[in-house]
Amino acid sequence: MTLDFTLHDWRVMERVVGLIGRLGCAYTRLDVRAAHDRYHASLDLVGAPDALRRLNAQLTRLCNDDKEMSR
Amino acid sequence: MFLESGFTVFESGQSTGARLVLDLLADEGVETIFGYPGGAIMPLYDALLEHPLQHVLTRHEAAAAFAAGGYARSTGRVGVCVATSGPGATNLITGLLDAQMDSIPLVAITGQVRTSVMGTDAFQEADITSIAGPVTKRSVCVRDAASLERTLRAAFRLARGPRPGPVLVDIPTDILKAAVAALGPRPHSPHAAPARPDDAALDAALALLHGARKPVAIAGGGVRSAGATALYRELCARFALPHVATINALGCATPGDPNFLGMLGMHGWKAANLAVAEADVLLAFGMRFDDRVTGRPDRFARNARIVHADIDAAEIGKIVATEVALAGDLRETLALLLQRSEATRGTRAFGGWAAEARAYGSALPVDRAPAGALSATAVCDALFAMLPPDAIVATDVGQHQMWAAQRQRASDPRHFLTSAGLGTMGFGLPAAIGAQFAHPGRTVVAIAGDGGFQMSLSELATLRRYELPVKIVLIDNRRLGMVRQWQDLFYDKRYSATDLSDNPDFVALAAAFGVRAECVAEPAQMGAALARLLAAREPMLLHCACYPAENCWPLIPPGASAHEALGPEALEREAAVA
Ligand SMILES: Cc1ncc(C[n+]2csc(CCOP(=O)(O)OP(=O)(O)O)c2C)c(N)n1
Repeated sequence: MTLDFTLHDWRVMERVVGLIGRLGCAYTRLDVRAAHDRYHASLDLVGAPDALRRLNAQLTRLCNDDKEMSR
Repeated sequence: MFLESGFTVFESGQSTGARLVLDLLADEGVETIFGYPGGAIMPLYDALLEHPLQHVLTRHEAAAAFAAGGYARSTGRVGVCVATSGPGATNLITGLLDAQMDSIPLVAITGQVRTSVMGTDAFQEADITSIAGPVTKRSVCVRDAASLERTLRAAFRLARGPRPGPVLVDIPTDILKAAVAALGPRPHSPHAAPARPDDAALDAALALLHGARKPVAIAGGGVRSAGATALYRELCARFALPHVATINALGCATPGDPNFLGMLGMHGWKAANLAVAEADVLLAFGMRFDDRVTGRPDRFARNARIVHADIDAAEIGKIVATEVALAGDLRETLALLLQRSEATRGTRAFGGWAAEARAYGSALPVDRAPAGALSATAVCDALFAMLPPDAIVATDVGQHQMWAAQRQRASDPRHFLTSAGLGTMGFGLPAAIGAQFAHPGRTVVAIAGDGGFQMSLSELATLRRYELPVKIVLIDNRRLGMVRQWQDLFYDKRYSATDLSDNPDFVALAAAFGVRAECVAEPAQMGAALARLLAAREPMLLHCACYPAENCWPLIPPGASAHEALGPEALEREAAVA
């Protein structure tokens, strides 16, 4: 699965990486690029379908909180 | 004299970082904060001397976090705790996770070493923002004074919602000392509006309900967080729906509502668990299908089609397959369901099924106490029968927590405070302290086991200092009871490290702190002792010397289904065979 998302605070990547490990998934590619005041991240992930689904949902939550915190 | 505070003298329109923090807290509606000072946070404590904000000194930072949690749980407002860098900050971690698990709004403010030495292993330096990351919604370090105000405002906004939770703001000591612009007006920037469930999903939920034979509603902590208790009660009443509550939602049911079947889960009421097991439609509001509620998810409510309403879309479908997802604010969701059921379909009452579900059983099984021995369940029964209706009860964690949860009669979900998701021993007394500060005139009771009480007993000093009339009911079974029970049932009675028969003399201990205390060991004297406790105008501890072997029933063993709940007969049978 490939996940693309935008962060305001790059330190949230630490949480994302933690979550990936917690859910028993792994990334095979991680790419983060700065553009103005944002960070565009793209990850290739492997893991059980259920775990990837949960990861995706929790990532959305993290991104929402990140957006809110940066307002 | 050398003044370590060394604040810049500032002109009008200017402030210091520390003063700004305090002004902002007050502006956000905070009246009381709980904390413990130390080097890096000293500028804030210095500024407190001239500030109207009330600061409560606990005797451990963990207690400050739990007290802020108790304050927040009992009010719905943001609780605030403060600690210094390094060990002060790390001592908050359990309280932050506790708040995270139960979606409690908390802001933690920690001092940090000055920015110029961060990253050098300076004295009392801890990378607290990384440490706290997984136990908060967000944890951030303020690296420049200019962003202090914006960061703190954002922290409050995020802590409040839409799904509440803890946020940590770490502030280096030089930023607390720096000259900054005085606090600006509170910006009008409410949290981005939460999603609203779409009409098709609302109608699908109502269609499921109308077609159901055995529907059951479940309230979770989200009903409390959303302030949706009245609407939830209205929905249950309109359909005569049998309904149950997770431990975080106790108090959501109208007191005396016959269709309320009790607490759901491992130690839940038989009728509650069986009704959910038999249900063909579940309406789950603001709950997250914790494993203490579901047991094995593949065996949970096997016949049910599930409607799941939650503010946090990430919870929907996380554990159980959901047929209808209602992502959005629960108040709005419930109001819309009520509106649409009226406008489009009328209501169908399920009173017959509710009566059938009630008949699954309402008595709580208890062990037979040895002659003359005081039983913990009898203490709980008597206590809840005597409490005023608006009393706030905070529990610790263990058997007494479950006995209390089974027996409480809260008329509001903010009246029963318990560490549910994390199950944190040591939570009860400090949480009661937080609640008593928020509700000075109310009866606040902490129920604790002898194990958990000893994790926060230094807070007796806090009770004394502030003359807080918290009542402590100490259920002393001279064991780590809940673990002992599991050893009894699932570890072949091999009791490892659960014996506390060398407990201290709790009455003498309380006396050493200047807290009035009494001991009761005779069942016949228990009622009068409880009456004296509840009548006390000062802090008081009632040491209940209970017999050690009492178990908490019912118990659904891990991995079993609701139909396999154990009661006292399980052990009696075993004893007879032996
Ligand atoms: C901080 C913490 N450590 C350990 C546990 C594991 N634990 C759960 S219940 C329990 C026993 C609690 O004993 P006590 O406080 O005496 O209460 P009782 O069960 O006897 O009512 C323990 C050790 C926990 N929940 N929290």
